[in-house]
Amino acid sequence: MVNAPKVDPELVASVLDKTETGPVIDEKDWDRGYINQTIRDLVEKYDITWDKNFYGVLADDALADRVFAAGFELAERSGLYCVDTNRRMVWTADELNQVINNAPTVVTAGEGKDQVTFKKRAVEENSRVGVIGGPYGIPFPEDLFVPVVTSYANEPLLDIVDLPSLQTTYGYSIRAESPWDQLAVWQEAGLTFEALERAGRPGMPIGCANSAASHLGELTTTSYGGFRQLDWHHNSIMSELKVSYADLIRAVHYVHTGSVSHNFYNTIFGGYVGGGDGMAVPIVAGMILLRASLWGESVNPGPSHAHLSCNTFPAMIPSQTVALQALARNTNLITSGFLRPVSGPCVKELFYEIAALVIAQVPSGISFTKAVHTATGRFPMHCTPLEARFAAQVTHAAEGLTRSEADPIVRKLVDKYKDNLNTANAGKPFTEAYDLDSLSPTNEWQGMYEEVCQEFELDFGLML
Amino acid sequence: MSNWESKQTEFTESILAGNEQAAVALARTSLEEGATPVEFFENCISPSLQDIGKRFETLDIFLPEMVTAADTVEKVNEDVINPAVAESQAGESMSLGKVLLATVQGDLHDIGKNMVGLMLKVNGFEVVDLGTNVPPADIVARAEQEQVDIIGMSALLTTCLPYMKDVCDFLEGKNIRDKYPVIIGGAATHPEIAEEMGANTHGGSAAEGVEKCKMLLGKL
Repeated sequence: MVNAPKVDPELVASVLDKTETGPVIDEKDWDRGYINQTIRDLVEKYDITWDKNFYGVLADDALADRVFAAGFELAERSGLYCVDTNRRMVWTADELNQVINNAPTVVTAGEGKDQVTFKKRAVEENSRVGVIGGPYGIPFPEDLFVPVVTSYANEPLLDIVDLPSLQTTYGYSIRAESPWDQLAVWQEAGLTFEALERAGRPGMPIGCANSAASHLGELTTTSYGGFRQLDWHHNSIMSELKVSYADLIRAVHYVHTGSVSHNFYNTIFGGYVGGGDGMAVPIVAGMILLRASLWGESVNPGPSHAHLSCNTFPAMIPSQTVALQALARNTNLITSGFLRPVSGPCVKELFYEIAALVIAQVPSGISFTKAVHTATGRFPMHCTPLEARFAAQVTHAAEGLTRSEADPIVRKLVDKYKDNLNTANAGKPFTEAYDLDSLSPTNEWQGMYEEVCQEFELDFGLML
Repeated sequence: MSNWESKQTEFTESILAGNEQAAVALARTSLEEGATPVEFFENCISPSLQDIGKRFETLDIFLPEMVTAADTVEKVNEDVINPAVAESQAGESMSLGKVLLATVQGDLHDIGKNMVGLMLKVNGFEVVDLGTNVPPADIVARAEQEQVDIIGMSALLTTCLPYMKDVCDFLEGKNIRDKYPVIIGGAATHPEIAEEMGANTHGGSAAEGVEKCKMLLGKL
């Protein structure tokens, strides 16, 4: 007996057909014409503009709706570029309207008492926002995998745990698109289940898989005895609006295994999309096209700065807020906010970067926060559960805020870190910021955290 | 030849706007007025491109503007500078060196690598870009074929790092390791990884990559 697929196979086939029948195009023409020039045209056509020196929360519904119209038109005019067939995948406006109207408004993950549900939220809706926490692919040695995952799973405010990447598997290098990928993710699955047992949360949904970035890892372990249907299975497209067979292979696998799928697209600020005004347009288009091509239950825009790799850069903040508002006001899509700060553990600015972004995103209509790609995820072991806990506390404190209330707080927080972004301090690794026996923060790191929590109460009246 | 400052300003504006006609005309006029191709390169093209590279580093301009500028300079080189160099007896090279770039096997991400390629070009390097998902043996073969001065490799994914080590191992195996300085970059890399992979150095950003390439060739 074959499982009933979660998406009609005829619809899946019609989307795959777009990779074989769409117009053939050179990748350079895609980057310059269908991305850069089209976005420039749409920014002008829809009058997408705001004060370039502003770095708070935009609260202009008409602007948000124009950003949506521009993003929708980009999705329709350009579609996606399939890097394996060098063709544009094209959708009609009717097809895209069906995508945004028929998207699920609720997603459930996990099992038993650890099961969680995230719902689509409106702009400024005073309702619970979910929180995912974890090392998000940050490399860890094998002997620290269980301790670090356990320490995140021990955090009661985290609904889902995301995973680090193993640096090696059984002492050997992990090689992309090889049997090593498979061996590594099976080890990852086993170690994760062990960590969740230790934390007493066996049914907690797992963001997976992270040790094999190729599709082989997910295909291998979303299987008998591996990651479960109700875990949190990753899939993505590439910058800018490019999709590969590997992404589509993962998508079809999730459709037929009935697995919960979370999809993301990271546009590049300063790249082909331009600056803040331009970036908002492909965020909207990308979220629509993610649902159209990969069929995930939830989507995430995690833009990154062309040089700093973060999304806490001041000019990126209003762009993210207006794009999220555009999606919340005009689609059924369940959206989320990713936190990719420059700073690392034991650096006070890390808390300010996290808080600024969370307080900007929550009133803009996200359904859950993804916490935290600490130090932009570039440094092995540079993350701790304490910043994820802090992100969760700020997320819940911001649930009742309006955009106008959030805006001055965000700007004050950005003022506290913006001058230090270019001299990024990745801080200390998990092994120096946490006590490995008790799996709790060192006095230094705990002290900084308590100081910032107190600041929030005194300066902003927010109880964490 | 005098008045390089105003010429350079005019040249910068022309290439940023993608105005090939104006940029080519300015180069032709300068050569007709007595400047040698090398003088034009050193006083006009090179400082203009460095200026544009710096503006991109601070994001006063974005990637598309830098692409346009690099394309326009390529047109100036093709139409004016290269023919003039070929005609001149000196035959001096204006390139700082030839860099092979590739995103290694298993990885399809290329925006970071492309940015490095552009920054290298605007700083006077020749670039041979092999694209993405390039097997180690192909990287080594093309390095030999193209007689490059540096091999540059990029990876966003940690599980692609072993393919970087393969390249260094293949070079060792062929007894040509000393011939090719190796630089690596990309989100999966950092200086310690470069050492582990057997590379000579690491570029943490496009700008740093350029500086490290200059350093590797003793041009700093």
